[in-house]
Amino acid sequence: MEMTLFDLWVLTRAASISLLLALASIAFGTALALLLTPLAFAPWRLARILYRLYVFVVRGTPVLLLALLVFYALAAYWGRISPYAAGVVVLTLYLGALFAEVFRGGVLAIPRPLWDLSKSLGLPRLSILRRVVSPLVARYTLPPYLNVCVMAVKASSVLSIISVWELTFASREIIERTLDVYRVLGVAALLYFLMCFAIDRLGRRLEARLAAKGFAGERL
Amino acid sequence: MGQYWAWLDAYGAAYLEAAAWTLAIAVLSFLAALIWGAVLFFLRLNAGRWAERGVDAYVQVLRNTPVLLPIYLIYFGFPLFGVLWPAAVCGGVALVLQNGAYICEIFRGGFKAIDRVQHDAAMSLGLLPWTHFRKVTLPQMLVHSIPALGNQAVLLLKDTSLLSAITVVELTMQSKVLTERTGTAYAPFLVAAAFYLAMVWALEVLTQLAHRSVRWR
Repeated sequence: MEMTLFDLWVLTRAASISLLLALASIAFGTALALLLTPLAFAPWRLARILYRLYVFVVRGTPVLLLALLVFYALAAYWGRISPYAAGVVVLTLYLGALFAEVFRGGVLAIPRPLWDLSKSLGLPRLSILRRVVSPLVARYTLPPYLNVCVMAVKASSVLSIISVWELTFASREIIERTLDVYRVLGVAALLYFLMCFAIDRLGRRLEARLAAKGFAGERL
Repeated sequence: MGQYWAWLDAYGAAYLEAAAWTLAIAVLSFLAALIWGAVLFFLRLNAGRWAERGVDAYVQVLRNTPVLLPIYLIYFGFPLFGVLWPAAVCGGVALVLQNGAYICEIFRGGFKAIDRVQHDAAMSLGLLPWTHFRKVTLPQMLVHSIPALGNQAVLLLKDTSLLSAITVVELTMQSKVLTERTGTAYAPFLVAAAFYLAMVWALEVLTQLAHRSVRWR
């Protein structure tokens, strides 16, 4: 049996859910990373160790395992929870670690003299952070940041296994009904490709725009 | 304490077997992906403009789609043509296809990092192109690629968990089965996570050792 036009519509709808999941977790993940990155530079050793531990554990375990862990653990303590909520929590935890590493790299890329310079100007610590560090980090880290955003879209497919209805789940459903494997997966691949490619293009645009304003940071 | 020993007694063997599957699939897939990535890289480099475009398209498509798609494509798609592979093989091949694309890009990056001046130097020394590649370019390219390859190996190891979606009993599947069978909330997943972390840590140490032993001083 072939997939129908209706299935095509179902797939595009599922793709929009994938995109929403990815965007929500990118937003929350960025917020989490902004809380995590300062830990890596904290004057207390314990904070630095905690940061390293968090990043190592989250980056060292498969997203699927994290998803199962969170889904089952939340379900055990909270009763039935929405797989969508669990999915966003998992992706947030995962992306938080990746983004934090990206931002940490950006801070490390700031040339040493710049720190001394801003200190010798007598800028308060918070102003250094706001006026010197943040804009530089934003500019340094744009390409790797968007790379992680592409990973977010791809990682959202894993949530299909904890019963989140998104593009991969919908594809599998339609495949099991119609056996039209190649066409369904072709459409799914095209939709994923478009989403990832759009993020990539958007990033290049932003980069060009920053460069036009004289913010041509060197690529990491 | 006793309960842990009882637990180890009951499920230790199951975990070890599952970990062995994970490791075997990861190692074999990575070796095959290295070969496939090298083939793609050489095609892109030497086989003309159309090969270059073809390889680029292949790499872009596989880099911008999730691994689950090739896994499902092979597992659900190949039987339609009468190709009935075991699930582990289907998943392994899918991992090779995707990681080959990444590894091709890694080799390309390593190749691009080499100074063009060396080419002129080799020409003036009268080295044949093949000798130049084998003796000068290749070793440097490989050394440049080691950290990224180590990183890719970690990603591949983690992606083997997706084979649980097509019934392969590796670490993730095993821990899921045990969770459902024993009615515990999540403890089996923590055990699986410990296994993954140990493997990832070992890979990172191995990569660092490899890089340190060949780096120029």
